[in-house]
Amino acid sequence: MLWTDKYRPKRFEDVAGNAKQKKIIQTWVEKWKNNEPQPPLLLIGSAGTGKTTIAHIIADEFSEYIELNASDKRSHDLLMSTIGESANTYSLFGNNRKLIIMDEVDGIHGTNDRGGTKALNKIIKESKQPIVMMANDFYSNKLTTIKKNAQVIKMDKIKSPTINKYLRDVVLKNEGIEVDPEVLKKLAKRSSGDLRSSINTLQALVENGGELTEEALDSTSQKDNTSTIFDTVTRVLKSKNPEHVKRSMFENNEDPTLVMEYIAENIPREYESNKEIKKAYEMISNADLYFGRTRSSQYYGYWKYASDFMGVGVSISKKETYRKYSKVMGPMAFSLMGRTRGKRALREAIATKMEEKMHVSLLVAYTIFPYFEIMFENDEVAWEISDFLELEDDEIKFFRKKKIPKKVITKMENIKAEMREEEKEEWRNSIKEGIFREIPPQDLEKVGDEPIVEEAVVEPDAHNSTIVDIFDDFDDDELDEIAIEYSGAKSKTKLRKEDSKASKKKKDDEEKLDKGQTTLFSF
Amino acid sequence: MIISDNMLGPWVEKYRPQTLDDVVGQEHIVSRLKQYVEEGSMPNLMFTGPAGVGKTTSALALVKGILGEYWRQNFLELNASDARGIETVRTNIKNFCRLKPVGAPFRIIFLDEVDNMTKDAQHALRREMEMYTKTASFILSCNYSSKIIDPIQSRCAIFRFTPIKAEEIENRLKYIAEEEHCQYEDEAITTIVKFAEGDMRKSVNMLQSAASTGSITEDHVFEVVSKAKPQEIKNMVNAALMGDFMKSRDILREVMILQGTSGEDMVNQIYQEVSSRVMAGNMDGEIYMNLIGAIAETDFRIREGANPRIQLEALLAKFL
Repeated sequence: MLWTDKYRPKRFEDVAGNAKQKKIIQTWVEKWKNNEPQPPLLLIGSAGTGKTTIAHIIADEFSEYIELNASDKRSHDLLMSTIGESANTYSLFGNNRKLIIMDEVDGIHGTNDRGGTKALNKIIKESKQPIVMMANDFYSNKLTTIKKNAQVIKMDKIKSPTINKYLRDVVLKNEGIEVDPEVLKKLAKRSSGDLRSSINTLQALVENGGELTEEALDSTSQKDNTSTIFDTVTRVLKSKNPEHVKRSMFENNEDPTLVMEYIAENIPREYESNKEIKKAYEMISNADLYFGRTRSSQYYGYWKYASDFMGVGVSISKKETYRKYSKVMGPMAFSLMGRTRGKRALREAIATKMEEKMHVSLLVAYTIFPYFEIMFENDEVAWEISDFLELEDDEIKFFRKKKIPKKVITKMENIKAEMREEEKEEWRNSIKEGIFREIPPQDLEKVGDEPIVEEAVVEPDAHNSTIVDIFDDFDDDELDEIAIEYSGAKSKTKLRKEDSKASKKKKDDEEKLDKGQTTLFSF
Repeated sequence: MIISDNMLGPWVEKYRPQTLDDVVGQEHIVSRLKQYVEEGSMPNLMFTGPAGVGKTTSALALVKGILGEYWRQNFLELNASDARGIETVRTNIKNFCRLKPVGAPFRIIFLDEVDNMTKDAQHALRREMEMYTKTASFILSCNYSSKIIDPIQSRCAIFRFTPIKAEEIENRLKYIAEEEHCQYEDEAITTIVKFAEGDMRKSVNMLQSAASTGSITEDHVFEVVSKAKPQEIKNMVNAALMGDFMKSRDILREVMILQGTSGEDMVNQIYQEVSSRVMAGNMDGEIYMNLIGAIAETDFRIREGANPRIQLEALLAKFL
């Protein structure tokens, strides 16, 4: 059993550290019990400061509780259905409050948890039930709204003497283990205010008769053996020792292409000589080449070369280690992509419309954009093209800042309507003239003889010869309708945008279309 | 079918030739395509050639001629380099080919940008082509036939489209301008033709852009040229050559990420920029050749499947 669970305090008095905070929380609980609703509680603090422990102690004070954490997929709907409901329900028995616990609320993820933060804020505002939330990062912008509507409790890191005392008087005493007090002090210090990790380290070292020595402690290094991406980047840029660099690359568990992006980003931020930048980037280029070759050949043996190019290769590209502190930056290209996501989605939506209506690929469509920008300066041309591509307002705004003036829209719509009228006239005439005579009857019969697969083409007994006469029975309005239906239907023939799931719908559409035709024949 | 959406809108669509007779240039190809129409049948075709020389237009005109009135029902247009992957392309082909042709002898699939497909995807495509020989014919379109695997090439009649002759573009532009009742200067048309380098789509877009600024004058055309070819590439190369790598890299990312310019296009534009410098006598031959070596290697690596942005960043570092 994990000691962290075994020795998790059950009462507020037993929780280590954060004395002031504990008092506030206790008052919060008492008030709820006296039927005085309180704002939700938001516990913010780094790992191992007692947030989860306190949440569970609070939970014991209430008759019921539900819990969610970041690993749950908290989409809007999910949050509303599981929590939203209980947040608004009064229990029949006045005092039986249902506590809601939410861990890692700053971990609600933008895309995966679509609307999650929004739903959460709504619940916080409307809830009639006690809520306890936990978060790690005080400055996370996901917390801005939550913070306004909650009682914020900032949990301090546990001081090392407190950790030391807890390990000695609670854990070791109970386990009946004696250790070197000096080494224990060190362990407490190294855990940098994280009580949970200190207990885990202790358990790993001394359980089953192990001895707590300084060497053993050193071997566990810090919390674990993996180096963060920032450690690795710093090592590559600062060190000139291939052994250290290789080890750091090896200990890093991140996606190596991401590590490469980080290193590349920071090369010109650390190296000052252009000669060094040039050489280092050549190494990056080679690393990337081998990542590409890995992808195309699916031979992962190439990775090790890539790792050496971007690790040792970049590290030896400098003449001397720079004696300065430079902050390691995340890849700017990624943040640029994030910032411009909306704009890029818009761009792609427009290009997709061009793809359909102008028979061009997306790549070709983008090459036309600069010309559209020029054309869109002209109100009428802007309207023409927008109308042709069926652009939405925000898509029009992509090419021009100003809206198309109402006057121009009205004018152009009138011109278009006139054109349509002329077309319809021609269409009516062409029907009356009998363009359907062009289909020889025997052709239709031939299709009819074959077993018809999926598509109803023409009724075998279609009265082909009389089709034209039949149109004489329709008045102009009805012919208009037929004309419009036919012209509207034709743009649906393209099948480009379906994935396999949607393809059934497409088939249906197509069938409808073909039936539409059948109607034309079999009046 | 008289009802047309093309009465207003981009001129490239409005004036896209609808029949083989109207197709501009490519006479020897067009005459062969007309024979297919007369015979009422066609083999699998491959159209190769640079952008804007009539590949799609000829394909559409051929399809209309050969399938007749019901061409829309029997025609599928797909982009082979569809971002959603070859599986989407294959599913669409499969669903389309399962159905019997309606009112036409067979169905036709037009696949654009086949050269952007991976080799694996091309092999998959080859199988599709074989599977549906009875019901469907393929027209494949690409910029470079060298990037198409042999088994596909050997199953197609290959037509090589060449840049359209200056005179033919000129005539077409004048025809359009007259149809649109636009005044034009002859010099303006000549200038467009010069900058378009045999690309009809580009020419017509330039024409409409110039016309939309008021009138088709040479000045307006120059304005369009400079606006449509932004200064960013020049600034980027400048910054790198002046030794400001961070600035150069920032511009590169802007252009690629915000404007969606492809890696291949970037390499091309950088090449144009560097080459224009040496042509203007602003660069030493030795330096020039060093840069060209680097550009060529970058081009190769990108086409081989490396990450275009990383490779281009490294290329800019070589300019320092």
